[in-house]
Amino acid sequence: MNSPFRVIGKSFPRLDARGKVSGKAIYGTDFAMQGMLHGKLVHSTIASGEILSVEIEEALAMPGVYEVVTAADIPAQRYGSFVKDMEVFASKRVNFVGQPVAAVVARTAEEAEAAAKAVRVEYKEQAAVFTTEDAVKADAPLVHPGWQEYKAVPTVKRQGNITNQARLVLGDVDKALKKSDRVFTHRFVTNIVHPGYTEPRAAIAHWADGKQLHVWSNTQLPFEAQATLAEIFKITPSQVRVNVTVIGGGFGGKLRLGVEHYAAAAALKVGRPVKFVSSCEEEMTAALPRQPLVIDLTTGVTKEGKILAKAASILVDTGATSGSGVGVASSVMLMLAGPYKIPNLRLESRSVYTNKTPTGSFRAPAGPQGNFAVESQMDIIADALGIDPLEFRLRNIVREGDLAPNGQKLESVSLEECLLKAADAIGWKDRRPEPGRGKGIACAWWTTTSGSSGVYVKVGPDGQVFLNTGCAEIGTAALTGAAQVLAEALGVELGSIQIVSGDTASTPFDYGAQGSRTAFAVGNACIDAVGKLHQRMKEIAAKQLSAKPEEIEIENGVAKFGDKSLTLKEIAAIAQTSQGGLIAHGTFIAPPTLHDKERTENMVITAINSPSFHAHAVDLSVDAETGEVKIHDYVVVQDVGRAINPTYIEGQIEGGVVQGIGQALSEEIVYENGIVRNPGLTDYKMPTAMDAPNIRSFIVESPSKVGPYGAKGVGEPPVIHPPATIANAIASAVSARIQTLPITAEKIVRTLTEVSETGK
Amino acid sequence: MKLEFLAPQTLQDAVTMAKARGGAARFIAGGTDLIIQARKSGAWPEAVINLQQIPGFGEIKGTGPNFSLGSLVTHRQIEREIRFAGALEALRESACVIGGHQVRNVATVGGNLCNASPAADMVPILLCLNAEVALAGSEGRRVVPLANFIEGPRKTVRASDEVMTEIAFAAPAQKFSSTFLKGGRRRAMEISIVAMAGVVSASPDGKMTDVRLAMGAAGPKAIRLTEAEKFLEGKVLSKDVLEETGMLAAAAASPIDDVRASASFRRHLAGVYARRVVELSWNRISELNDDRSAA
Ligand SMILES: Cc1cc2nc3c(=O)[nH]c(=O)nc-3n(C[C@H](O)[C@H](O)[C@H](O)COP(=O)(O)OP(=O)(O)OC[C@H]3O[C@@H](n4cnc5c(N)ncnc54)[C@H](O)[C@@H]3O)c2cc1C
Repeated sequence: MNSPFRVIGKSFPRLDARGKVSGKAIYGTDFAMQGMLHGKLVHSTIASGEILSVEIEEALAMPGVYEVVTAADIPAQRYGSFVKDMEVFASKRVNFVGQPVAAVVARTAEEAEAAAKAVRVEYKEQAAVFTTEDAVKADAPLVHPGWQEYKAVPTVKRQGNITNQARLVLGDVDKALKKSDRVFTHRFVTNIVHPGYTEPRAAIAHWADGKQLHVWSNTQLPFEAQATLAEIFKITPSQVRVNVTVIGGGFGGKLRLGVEHYAAAAALKVGRPVKFVSSCEEEMTAALPRQPLVIDLTTGVTKEGKILAKAASILVDTGATSGSGVGVASSVMLMLAGPYKIPNLRLESRSVYTNKTPTGSFRAPAGPQGNFAVESQMDIIADALGIDPLEFRLRNIVREGDLAPNGQKLESVSLEECLLKAADAIGWKDRRPEPGRGKGIACAWWTTTSGSSGVYVKVGPDGQVFLNTGCAEIGTAALTGAAQVLAEALGVELGSIQIVSGDTASTPFDYGAQGSRTAFAVGNACIDAVGKLHQRMKEIAAKQLSAKPEEIEIENGVAKFGDKSLTLKEIAAIAQTSQGGLIAHGTFIAPPTLHDKERTENMVITAINSPSFHAHAVDLSVDAETGEVKIHDYVVVQDVGRAINPTYIEGQIEGGVVQGIGQALSEEIVYENGIVRNPGLTDYKMPTAMDAPNIRSFIVESPSKVGPYGAKGVGEPPVIHPPATIANAIASAVSARIQTLPITAEKIVRTLTEVSETGK
Repeated sequence: MKLEFLAPQTLQDAVTMAKARGGAARFIAGGTDLIIQARKSGAWPEAVINLQQIPGFGEIKGTGPNFSLGSLVTHRQIEREIRFAGALEALRESACVIGGHQVRNVATVGGNLCNASPAADMVPILLCLNAEVALAGSEGRRVVPLANFIEGPRKTVRASDEVMTEIAFAAPAQKFSSTFLKGGRRRAMEISIVAMAGVVSASPDGKMTDVRLAMGAAGPKAIRLTEAEKFLEGKVLSKDVLEETGMLAAAAASPIDDVRASASFRRHLAGVYARRVVELSWNRISELNDDRSAA
């Protein structure tokens, strides 16, 4: 194929590959400083109760110990994304087992750990609540008795344990359900899963003059870390400098503060740099896993298979703090409606506190949960109506120009193509090739998160180009993608670009590596910078070549006037000696996605920006006796708008699918009375290489109007569909319809036994 | 934490060092059980006595019917042992599903037995092979049948100064085959929720004989399924025979409920795997003999 692009669309190796494969890259856990001490946390051992006393004398007397830090050492200040319900150390009461109550600072991590065990905390235990269904009851114990005093964004409607009640309403659902030929109601329940990054959360903090806080950490969002730390310590953001180290994976689990605040609190008290690294157990008990949801979904259809109405009641378990769960409660409604054309909707969602681990924004927050419910039910309905599940979807999906549930007009809609290609690749016509073997399909849309991006693009006198961004590289290679956009637009080779990233003091602001936006937004800021650089090049070249700037033409990085020309390198060298170098500040902010505000109530996330469309299909066998699932083939068709680097898109797809298979089949943080029963990687079962199937990726390019060269967000979508796709294939293989995640062998066998016993 | 690390060069030194420290020292081979347990419980021994530098315990010996495994033989060695390809395949099948590559490269068969986890994957097949373990301690040497060696969860008859030196077994005399199957949530790095090993022989008149079945992870220790074994003696494979075998296996299980699986699911799997192990082993006997005649 003849591509009009030089750099875009090519599978160049990522710019950070060499350091990573040679072991030279310095990760957060590697980072060390002269004179640094180590900190370890003291965790709550109860799920709910008042703190009566914190005895630190014994710990202080232990070898190597410098200080014990508690809530009394830092300003009393609550923080949080939508509701300010978090504190660094529990001050008066604890809300979950594992909540940090104090931190010990010692010469070595081992000494700190030993001393942490010697800190005695006395509690007055109180009633706790562990499920959302219990937590919303009128007489439920309050997870935060003081909730009314917390500050919150004005959009949220709170009551007791409920941190928001949001609705998405369209048409008249009751009337439409009455008119429907069939009405289906099901409950779907999803699991708490951990993002599973390989590197635990790590940070070093140091205070200069007790006023300037400097933090090095493996955060995904240096500017958010800066803002939150400033809020916590009651200083201005510019008094905080955050440097991002190399990051061993984030998947949304490193968006919010991880251990930066503990390091900062400890460093403030001891006056030396302090390092914190989460242990595996802390990761499994006190990190930011995905919210488990209970979704009651009702759908009314005609016998011809047209969806007339959907109603849903959703409970989002955010754990002990609301965190991103308020957002999940909103975005799950966009997932539950779509990607279908439904004239009547009444979706109601509540985010709810329980006395469990606070949850976060794991890759595609709300995506897998919502999709599992909608796409499982689509198959149940199709079967009941005697319509092929693919055909049933094709009768209801959104197409170009349709309105999304929030009333936004959809553009560049490639869903039909994705579905048909996935069906074709998996061999859909033969959906049940043999007993115990079946195929499943599921589709979705997803947003490309907005937020502003700034880059400085600087050209050295040798032609080396520096891409200076406030966005961190979290392992996806998205910044290599942004660099490819820059190389394409500027007319240079990818190899001449060097990335400088993630330093709040020296890099421009970026909303950060989240929400599938990095290559999209940073790439667009690069294009903006190139426009400005070209203008500067024209001005400089005009002077040199005795022309007017508008007479200069720029082609592949060379400024031309008649038969005379100047290269980028030459211009940069001139700029360096004459005007402080060649540099431009490129910026980008996505245009707002217009939608119908009448339809949304109290939603904190209301739109699907530059939506991407995708379909997954799987071919698997189920051993009906052991419940074991064997995946033969897994197909992903994903519309990426424009494939900036096909290899890394495939990387995102394959990684996402495996992560999704974990949520579908094996992963779950299991609680008993608020205590995690599987706080390690022995019993928290992420798929191994042996469990990862053959995954075939097909890329669809239906360009978006906003993204660089038409690109759409890529990173999150692949994790969305596996639970539904696999659930559907299992149901088609052995008629076991499992509506709770994960779909363990045990659940399959139990369901099949029930089916054969009741004859249903 | 202070941990003394001792590296004796001879068996005698190892025993003497252990004896001198009473129960406060622990032998270490691959360390894949010992270190993890100490970290988890915080109960570190005062000293660890490394067995890896003592020569002579790292080999698989014998050409059949008698074999011996040095206690320091790794799961990787067993998994790749050509002498076990064929009728003794279950040894390789047991070894190759232990942990992952990194674990199998260092973890030893002696450690697997001495650790005496109810879910230790090498135990069922070695029980089927009537393996005997040799122990050397300050009181001298002794040989103990594996079935008597493991007493319960993490409990063996081994004295704290006794080193396990080798594991010996003999292959059955008649035409036989073996199978190992295990259940768990993933295909590697998985602690068995039920493990089943079987050795089945064929009598000249084409009946099952000398059937040995052992089950792990379905009770406080791995056990031989003696009821099922007795029942299968002299039987011809049939659906009914397998059905009964499964029921006897399930009845012999005394599993627990835990985060990995419920007791009832474990019992169910015990039945399924017992049936499958017998059926597979039986079918393998004829496959093996077909191969031989072809070669
Ligand atoms: C990630 C992971 C996955 C695992 N998966 C499995 C699995 O799938 N199946 C399974 O069965 N096991 C599994 N294990 C457990 C472990 O790897 C095995 O039990 C292994 O065989 C133990 O051998 P080792 O040499 O490491 O023992 P060590 O840890 O060195 O020793 C274990 C115990 O035996 C004692 N000991 C060791 N050798 C001798 C000897 N020669 N004489 C006297 N005492 C001795 C030690 O003092 C200690 O008490 C896994 C472990 C890990 C870490």
